[in-house]
Amino acid sequence: MRTPRDIALLYQRYFVQMLRNPVWLAVGFSTPLLYLALFTPLLKHIAVSAGLPGSNVLDGFLPGILALLAFASGSGLGFSTIFELRTGVTERLRVTPASRFAILVGPILASMTLMFVFDAVLVAAGAAFGFEVHWLGLAVLAVLLGLLMVTMGAFSIATALLTKEISGFAAIINGINLPVLLLAGVLLPISIGPFWMRVLAHFNPLYYLVAASRLLATGHFSGHQVWQAFAVLLPLCALVLAWATRVFRRAVA
Amino acid sequence: MKDAVLAAHELRKSFKAPRRPPVEAVRGVSMEVRGGEIFGFLGPNGAGKTTTLRMLTTLLPIDSGVATVAGYDVQRSAQQVRTRIGYVSQLGGSDELATGRENLVLQGRLYGDDTSTVRRRVAELIELLELEAFADRRVITYSGGQRRRLDVALGIVHAPKVLFLDEPSTGLDPQNRANLWSHIAALRDRGTTVFLTTHYLEEADELCDRLMIIDHGVIVAEGAPRELKRQIAGDTVLLSVREQDHTAQRAEQRLRTQPYVRELSAEGTTLRLYVEEGASAMIEILRLLDGDGIGIQSLTVAEPTLDDVFLRQTGRSLRDAGQRPETEKRRA
Repeated sequence: MRTPRDIALLYQRYFVQMLRNPVWLAVGFSTPLLYLALFTPLLKHIAVSAGLPGSNVLDGFLPGILALLAFASGSGLGFSTIFELRTGVTERLRVTPASRFAILVGPILASMTLMFVFDAVLVAAGAAFGFEVHWLGLAVLAVLLGLLMVTMGAFSIATALLTKEISGFAAIINGINLPVLLLAGVLLPISIGPFWMRVLAHFNPLYYLVAASRLLATGHFSGHQVWQAFAVLLPLCALVLAWATRVFRRAVA
Repeated sequence: MKDAVLAAHELRKSFKAPRRPPVEAVRGVSMEVRGGEIFGFLGPNGAGKTTTLRMLTTLLPIDSGVATVAGYDVQRSAQQVRTRIGYVSQLGGSDELATGRENLVLQGRLYGDDTSTVRRRVAELIELLELEAFADRRVITYSGGQRRRLDVALGIVHAPKVLFLDEPSTGLDPQNRANLWSHIAALRDRGTTVFLTTHYLEEADELCDRLMIIDHGVIVAEGAPRELKRQIAGDTVLLSVREQDHTAQRAEQRLRTQPYVRELSAEGTTLRLYVEEGASAMIEILRLLDGDGIGIQSLTVAEPTLDDVFLRQTGRSLRDAGQRPETEKRRA
């Protein structure tokens, strides 16, 4: 089969490039830790008044950061696509017989690998400050995080191919980021918001992931939030991947 | 043409523009490229060269028309075409954070060959294009000329039948340009068909076996550089006579009646003659004026350039696109 081989080649290509970019690595590692360090103290007070689940604020907050990280590392992928469009890399790859799906998915999987490394660092740091680690729950959560990352990554890359330049692309991605993040309850739970907000949140895929992540991180698998998250993210991921592959096939780089 | 490796018929492409009529970038381009030749596609910036090239290399959907490359239809058998062509874009597109060798190995692997075959082939290429000194450094440290040679190597790592080069020498200094030309000529000599676009007259003239001139999406001339220049422009002979009692007028009268002189204009003691073939006309002129006792100060033949060809066909000079034509001059 040509596709798995191409995926492996393009995965390796992107992974090595990320490792050779020290600035990128430093930011990648420090951002989640900064979130943890800067938000946890604030949340400690809010958590009490808002009645967040769990005795430890990290149990509710850390899974949210993992979801946020998956969302951000996916949606940021288009920036390197724009760079590769401008430097001719995309065209160089597209003129080869390499699978179009592989050209799309190779970089996504490579960034996902690194994302899981960041996640592990975050969990380890959280554990040191009282986050209770439930391995099985985190493993199931990792699958959900991967799904969201692929969805957002494919969406971001396809959007970059369509907009072709940085300003249009950045406007779209930034325009989506803020409402999606606010309506997901990553930093503050949606349950404290008004009714319309709670309704709107149900159209946000990230909302389901965040809700599921809080359950899974505390070792609960049976809640409806868990299967709901899979029910939303699986088809969404497939849909976006199919669309992005199509864009890659026809894209005018 | 029997031995054509590339044939295109009536290719058209237009691009939609918001709230304006669509831009017709390519308007019915047909061509045939023979195996083993360097075929040039000459035209000013924005003439439709790159658009045509990108249609031929499967990168851009074709609006209408048919193109066959290396025996396969570009639209219906894109995958077959891709395995048989190499394409080097204006941008190159190598990975800056990888070394030249890493770039080459990955590229070779993407064409489906196993690592050991690719490594062997890459080592050969590094030697062929003289990349040894920097092949194991990261591309970000390369000079323009080094980068360009790597780009070409990336385009031929899978030994393609046809190599497409989009403006290969843009941005190179004369020395690196000459070096690149010799490498491209060497590829042709090893059997690769090369299709290149250029807006440099010298490049088209010196490097290409045959060429096509495109302007506003339409082919305006086609042929070997030599033929093109001859059939359209002829040669220009500049004659300067010694100033003695009306020598210039006498020379003008005598020459005007000669059959090989198409046109003549005089300015002071200098005559400008448009002739069929410069070298033979010069001998005739020398004989004629010598017999009449008219002293010659200097006699120069200026071969027409491809710019003259372009000028005759389009009414504009390629120079306007910012290029300086090198007029070939031979002193008699």
